[in-house]
Amino acid sequence: MKRILSILAGAAVAVVPAMAAAQQQGVTADTIKIGAYGPITGPAAYIGLAGRDGMNLAIKEINAAGGINGRKITVVFEDDAHSPTRALAAVKKLVEQDQVFAIMSVAGSNATVGTIDYVRDKGAVMYVSIASAPPVTWPFARNLFRGGTTETARYGELYAEYLATNAKNKRIAIMHGREEYPRNEGDATVDKLKNWFQIDPVARVEFNINDKDFTSQLIQVQKANPDVIAFFGNPAEAAIAMRQARELGIKQPFFVGSNMVDPSLVTAARANAEGVTGFSLIPFLPGANSPEMKQWEANWRKEYPNAPAGRPNNFDLLAYGDMHVLAEGMRRAGKNLTTDSLIKGLEGIKDYRVGPVATPRTFSDKHHIGNLTLVPMQVKGGSWEPVQWQSKRQSDILSRYK
Amino acid sequence: MTATLAFQLAIAGISVGSIYALVALAVVIPFKASGVLNFGQGEMVTAGAYIALVLTTLALPYAVVFLLVVLVGAIGGIVIERALIRPIIRAPEFTVVIATFAIGLLIKGAIQLRFGDSPAAIDGPFGMDPLLVAGLRFNPTSVWIFVCMLLVTFAVIAFFKYTRLGKAMRAVSINAEAARLMGIRVESVWRWAWGISTAIGAVAGLLVAPVIGVNPEIGTLILRGLVAAVIGGFTSVPGAIIGGLAVGLIETFSGVIVGSTFKNLVPFIILMLLLVFRPYGLFGVAVAKRV
Repeated sequence: MKRILSILAGAAVAVVPAMAAAQQQGVTADTIKIGAYGPITGPAAYIGLAGRDGMNLAIKEINAAGGINGRKITVVFEDDAHSPTRALAAVKKLVEQDQVFAIMSVAGSNATVGTIDYVRDKGAVMYVSIASAPPVTWPFARNLFRGGTTETARYGELYAEYLATNAKNKRIAIMHGREEYPRNEGDATVDKLKNWFQIDPVARVEFNINDKDFTSQLIQVQKANPDVIAFFGNPAEAAIAMRQARELGIKQPFFVGSNMVDPSLVTAARANAEGVTGFSLIPFLPGANSPEMKQWEANWRKEYPNAPAGRPNNFDLLAYGDMHVLAEGMRRAGKNLTTDSLIKGLEGIKDYRVGPVATPRTFSDKHHIGNLTLVPMQVKGGSWEPVQWQSKRQSDILSRYK
Repeated sequence: MTATLAFQLAIAGISVGSIYALVALAVVIPFKASGVLNFGQGEMVTAGAYIALVLTTLALPYAVVFLLVVLVGAIGGIVIERALIRPIIRAPEFTVVIATFAIGLLIKGAIQLRFGDSPAAIDGPFGMDPLLVAGLRFNPTSVWIFVCMLLVTFAVIAFFKYTRLGKAMRAVSINAEAARLMGIRVESVWRWAWGISTAIGAVAGLLVAPVIGVNPEIGTLILRGLVAAVIGGFTSVPGAIIGGLAVGLIETFSGVIVGSTFKNLVPFIILMLLLVFRPYGLFGVAVAKRV
């Protein structure tokens, strides 16, 4: 009798976690179904297509290595066309119709902000790889995590510190686009220059996306005689502005936002990009002359042999690295994979990265901003090269979470 | 504002205005011949830039690249007219306009699939080092664009005035059925109008690529091209050129006078004011109809 009871008790111990797992939406005995969304049509398709492909490459590697605690990852992907309403519809479908376990966002800020309230209410884990919009991680929500990108406020801290201390610039001119992202970068930089270093920009001018002429803005910048020009926008606009600046005899160096620390800026601006500095979200850029990056690119090209020019790009790498981080969180959650155990698994991650091609991610139960470390880079000899520089100031961002 | 600053702004305004003028011209020609407003013309400019990008990688001489861009652009327009526009030419005007919009999206989508969204660059025929003349700086490629724009304009004016096909286009634009009764092959006129306009669009892409780069968003120039065409009167070739230059100059000067935040709004404000007082633009005329 005793023997029978002990067998039954043992069986119960084995069965209960399995039952819990079976009850968890999107998790079966041998699969974990995740949902993902991003723009694969429209003007921001370069983000979503790359995010989707980078994520899928990571999933293929994870599954080939045996999956997560015996379960293989499957993914349902939805297009958001860079629209917040489309993104919300996509996430609702993933959660309610496809019954996914967790969500991976490889969308831009514009679309991701449309999903935040819904995901907060539903409680499913959403891991945001690319969007830097503050509402992802502030106010704090237990089920929302930010991976490779950091908050715009952190960009401002690093940009201001680098501009004011490394290059010892006192006269800083700012040119930025009028859309959400470059304007936020401009605002955050101005704020920290003022509050940390008591520096007011000597000129601040705006432009529109797809502008073809920057003469009037550059003349205002030229009149202010800055030490450096900080430019926040897109590579296509930066290339025109840099060419026109040189034509007008403006010799001051350019500093650019992190989205432009990308091979495409060098391709577009060519010789005018030489000497440009900026911060990268990843340690090496595609095309960099490092053995690890060459190996990663070879793996990527094997998977996507017919990809268009310009790929893989930074977003391939960000989503690739972040899918591995999400998988690591699921691995740490153990066999009994639930939303709660995944959150605890992710919050236990400290300085984790899949390899040298990714920056380390750290989460805690206080904050879910995975990456506060950006890498300063400069265009030298036609490619982006890391610059030896370390931030010496404590970030103000984490103080909010105490 | 100093004289040097004013001259420098004028150079910039004429440079960017020449680009708008070429796009406006490419919009006006098929409208003059067939009454179809081609919203896909911006993407023909994009296509021209990408054709030039591909041909440049083959290390062909600039003159050969130029001729091939004209040829491919013209053939593209003729094919589009024959395969996609002519079957629906008798549909309501709005339907045809939307069809041209869809054709533009198809061209853009195909370009994005093949080349991705990353920007690229090509060199101009005279290098990119600025010329310094009397303290003023000129981009040699911008000077080249201006010269080409003038040459294209004179060629188009001469074409409409002195050639049989040009006169036929003018006749078809006034009354297609009457022109048909006079023995003009209206379909042939439409075909050539599309071929010529898309060739001009493609040439515009080739010319502007060294200055504004190569990327799938070049087609957004159509908005400025349309404003230029409306200011000029929409059916006037010189009007399209003057409209384009005016938009470029207004944008550049207003950037300094009213600030960069509002500089893109000023051309539209001036357009609206102009239309209040001259509803047919600077060179357009009201069409009289017997009732």
